[in-house]
Amino acid sequence: MWRVLDLYRRLLAVQIRAQLQYRIAFWFDLLGTAGITTLEFGTLALILQRFENVGGWKLGEVAFLYGLIDMAFGTMDMLFSGFDPPFFGQQVRQGRFDQLLLRPVNITLQVLGSRFEMRRLGRIAQGGLIVGAALALTKAHWTLAKVIYLPVVFVSQVSFFGGLFIVGATITFWTVESIEVINIFTYGGNEMMCYPMHVYPDWMRRFFTFVVPAIFLNYYPALYFLDKPDPFNMPPFVSFLAPVAGLGVLVAALAFWRFGIRHYASTGS
Amino acid sequence: MRLFWELAKLSFQRQLTYRAATLAGLATNFFFGILRASVLMGLYGARPEVAGISLAGAVTYTGLTQAVIAFLSFFGWSEVMNSVYSGEIGSDLLKPMNFFTFWLAKDLGRAVANFFTRGLTIMLAYALVFDITWPSTVVQWLALGLAIVLSWLLSFSWRFLVNLTAFWTPNAYGIIRLAFTLSWFLTGFLMPLRFFPKWAVQFAYLTPFPHTVNTVTEVYLGLVTGPALVGALLGQLLWILVLIGAGQLVLRAGVRRLVIQGG
Repeated sequence: MWRVLDLYRRLLAVQIRAQLQYRIAFWFDLLGTAGITTLEFGTLALILQRFENVGGWKLGEVAFLYGLIDMAFGTMDMLFSGFDPPFFGQQVRQGRFDQLLLRPVNITLQVLGSRFEMRRLGRIAQGGLIVGAALALTKAHWTLAKVIYLPVVFVSQVSFFGGLFIVGATITFWTVESIEVINIFTYGGNEMMCYPMHVYPDWMRRFFTFVVPAIFLNYYPALYFLDKPDPFNMPPFVSFLAPVAGLGVLVAALAFWRFGIRHYASTGS
Repeated sequence: MRLFWELAKLSFQRQLTYRAATLAGLATNFFFGILRASVLMGLYGARPEVAGISLAGAVTYTGLTQAVIAFLSFFGWSEVMNSVYSGEIGSDLLKPMNFFTFWLAKDLGRAVANFFTRGLTIMLAYALVFDITWPSTVVQWLALGLAIVLSWLLSFSWRFLVNLTAFWTPNAYGIIRLAFTLSWFLTGFLMPLRFFPKWAVQFAYLTPFPHTVNTVTEVYLGLVTGPALVGALLGQLLWILVLIGAGQLVLRAGVRRLVIQGG
């Protein structure tokens, strides 16, 4: 176990040192990734001056969804960037994945350590600021239970998105090219989860409830944190399904990943 | 001129060969379009009209913004930068054609292909699931055609200019990414600029960006008419000239310090 962790630490250290080589480029990257969130959220904040709410949710409440999801997606995108489907597809195509398979170290660990995108820190920080703003703007009553549950939801969200990345990466074993449709679930899911789920058409919300359980990771926990009523009249325990949904997706994705590796036939390049 | 059209044709054909990517891109754009239309409906609530834009107009707007993504290479374009780093630019500069025109021709083919495969198709898909609006007069259709062509020219001149930073730094990806991100906000891609407070609109109009997406959507939705319409098109033209001029100056300075590694 210690050996594994030590290896992971070393793999990351190499990545971090490499990324800090071009310092100016690194800062631009950091600003760029932070900028996307800031501008998108800033846009929303600006037009909410005119509209006042989105589907009945005020700026602070949407900010809570928005900031938390952005922090989680940013964290996942940093930790799991080795599994980022377009990147991973390229590794498969160029035969670099075969090199990893030859090494006597756990393959999942190697892929995790093969890329660590530090510039995502910009996005994580930005998401944190938005959550801060949300806490200042909303008057939710923060009980001890909520304070304990919040990090659990965050970790669940990270596992959820990580699972989606792993599924996307595994599919490239068969398709070789990264299939862009996975973006609908990863980036699309991220964008979708920034807003209260009741604004979406029924078919879409049902899909993101029963097929991809996104609704349990942001909307239902948020109803609990912000003391909001549930327009769909689900039982109240649904707000606490985040860890089940998040870890469930990750575990299922890892099982699929192992299945993929067992059936992996190299491209031969 | 013949060379220009041949290059454009080649690039058009090349673009058409990426069928799987086109389909995937379409699906993604359409999905995001539905998301953004839903958010706008959530924002509108019971209001029939905001800032002169009807709810149907706002939904149409989300379709238009998704339709121009591929056409204007909205999420990033670094081909000129790549050619600087790979050294390919060396042979490109030797071609009997202005370097800007060379890339303009290639981008024209790419843009036209995407206009049909990922622009018109999105609008047709939108027409299937939403009540969208269409330009109503002949003048409006003509102005729209003109605005679309000008928005591409403007977008290209700007993308070309940003790519030239590659002459000065060994890794311009971050700069290009930042520039594109800023443009999303200022072009009116994220939300119609009319929804913003006045100061934000005035600020955006100090830059060339609103003259791409925002102008196209406003012409399409019939929000600018008469003299304002002529002004909008002239605004596009003016910025195109400014950006092309700036591109030529920067290119000249950049080529002077360009070093092509052998091998």
